[in-house]
Amino acid sequence: MFKPFSRLNKGVVVVMVSGQIFLALLIWQLSPGGLIPGPLRVLEALGQLLSSGLLYDNLLASLMLTLKALFYSIVLTLLFSYLSVLPFFRPAAQFIVKCRYLTLTGLIFIFTLLTRDGSALKLSLLVFGIVPFFTTSFLAVIVRAPAQEFELCQTLGYSRWETLYEVIIVGKADQVFEIVRQNFAIAWMMITMVEGLNMSEGGIGTLLIKYNKYNDLPHVLALQAIVLGLGLCFDFGLGQLRRWLFAYTKI
Amino acid sequence: MTPYIKKETLLRASDVSLCYGDKCILRDINFSIRDVIRPGLQQGQVVSLVGRSGIGKTQLFRVLSGLQKPSTGTITIHERKPAEVGGGSIEVWRDRAVQPGDMGVIFQNYYQFGWRTVRQSLLLAARKNPVLAGKEEDAIREYAMRFDIGEVLSRYPSQLSGGQQQRVSIIQQLLKGSDFLLLDEPFSGLDVCVLEKVTELLLQVSLSDELKTLIIVSHDIATTVAISDTVFILGRTADGEGSTLVREIDLIERGLAWRSDLREDKVFLDTLKEIKACL
Repeated sequence: MFKPFSRLNKGVVVVMVSGQIFLALLIWQLSPGGLIPGPLRVLEALGQLLSSGLLYDNLLASLMLTLKALFYSIVLTLLFSYLSVLPFFRPAAQFIVKCRYLTLTGLIFIFTLLTRDGSALKLSLLVFGIVPFFTTSFLAVIVRAPAQEFELCQTLGYSRWETLYEVIIVGKADQVFEIVRQNFAIAWMMITMVEGLNMSEGGIGTLLIKYNKYNDLPHVLALQAIVLGLGLCFDFGLGQLRRWLFAYTKI
Repeated sequence: MTPYIKKETLLRASDVSLCYGDKCILRDINFSIRDVIRPGLQQGQVVSLVGRSGIGKTQLFRVLSGLQKPSTGTITIHERKPAEVGGGSIEVWRDRAVQPGDMGVIFQNYYQFGWRTVRQSLLLAARKNPVLAGKEEDAIREYAMRFDIGEVLSRYPSQLSGGQQQRVSIIQQLLKGSDFLLLDEPFSGLDVCVLEKVTELLLQVSLSDELKTLIIVSHDIATTVAISDTVFILGRTADGEGSTLVREIDLIERGLAWRSDLREDKVFLDTLKEIKACL
C-alpha cells in the first residue's frame, strides 16, 4: 500500500477508499467549523432537497441545457477540428484554441445583443465556453496521430480524403468521447454561472445562487454534492458508452 | 544448376541520393531487379538489401516504397496495365516513377489500424484491388485459410501475437494486389521456430505470382540470404559521404537460390563471409 507502483486488489481498494472517506468526514464533523456546517447538517439539507420537487425541476432544466450545449459544442468542435487539416481552415481552428484564454466578463453584453432570449443567451455562452477546450483537446489528438497511420494509408493507395476519413474521422471517433468525458467538468462548472444570468428558467445554478444569497451553507454544500455526484455519473456513463461503442478501447 | 533466364527489368533505381540539409544519408544508389523466369515454374523474385545497423537501410526502404522522395534520382517500376485493344483487353507494360501505394509495404512492427478488426483491415485493402471487385470476401477467406489466420479474423490487432500480426500485414498488402512487397526487418526479434515459419511464408508468397517481387531489408544476413536470389550490400566507401551499394551478389549464379539445404553448404558459408567482409 505504501510501495511505489504497487497494485492492490479491488477489495482492498474499496476498503481503503471507504476508510479514507470515513476518516475525512469524521475530521470534518469533529473540527470546530464555526459557520461551516458539519457533514450531518449537509446530509440533512441533502435529504430536504431530495424530498422536494424543486430540486428535480431545476436539475432537469440544468441537465437539458448542458446536454444541448454539449451537442452543439461537439458538432462545432468536430467541424472545426476536421476542417483544421485543410490549410485554409487551420487559422480559424487555431483562433478557437486561443479563445480559451478569453473571459466571459464583458462579452456577456455582446452575447445578449446577439441572442433573442435568455435561453439562447445561456446556451450560446456555454457553447462559447466549452468549444475552445474541446477543440484544443481534439486538435492535440489529431496532431499526435502516429505517422504510421498515415503511411499505412499511403501504402494502401488511399487518397488524402480517404486518409482523413480513416485516420481522423473513424480512427479518432473514440477519442471524441474521451475528450467530452474529460472536459465535461467545464460545462458543469459554467452552468451555475450562466444560469445566474437568467434565473427565470431555473436550474441548479439558480438554486445555488439563491441559497448562497441567504448564506444557507448546508443547502449550498448539499447542492455541490449533487453537482459532484452527477458529474461522476456522467463521467462513468460516458466511459461505459465509449467502451460499448468502441470495443477495441477496452482491450 | 536450375535453368533460368532474366527478362524485363521490373524495378530500377537510378542515381538515388537522400540528403537532409547538407548531411547525405544515401548516395549514388543504382541497381535493377529483373524478372527471373524458370521454365515450367511460377517463380517470383526475392531480393535482399543488407547492411549494418544505422547504415540507411530503412531510409532506402522508404525511398523504394515511395513514402520518401529522394533528393536526386528516381525509382522506376515496370508496370502491367490492362488496355482495351480491338474490343478485347490486353496487358501492356509501361515504366513510371514509383508512387506511394505502388508497393506493398510491411513495416517492422506490422502496424495495423487499431480500430479495425482483421477482417475489416483486409477488406479495406481488398477493395483497393480492382481485380478482386465483388470477390473481396472470398479472397480474404482464401488467404486467411492459406496463412492460417482464419480464427482471428474478428479480432483487433492488439489481440494478435507478433506472428499473426505479421501474417495479417502480409495478406493485407497481397490483397491490395501490388507486385512488389517491401519488408523491413521481417526476421527481427523472432524465435527459431517462428523464424522458420516466416521464411516459409515469404517463399510461399514469392511463388504465388511470376511478377511477385519481395525486397527484404534486413541485418540478419544468414536468414535473408538463404531465401534470396540476389543480395545488395549497403555500405560506406572512402570516396564520399553517405551509404551506397557496395556490392551485388547473384545467388542464382552461385547455385544458392531456391534451395532449402543451404545452411551447411560451403559456397553459402563462403558467401556469408564475403558479405560480412563488405559491411
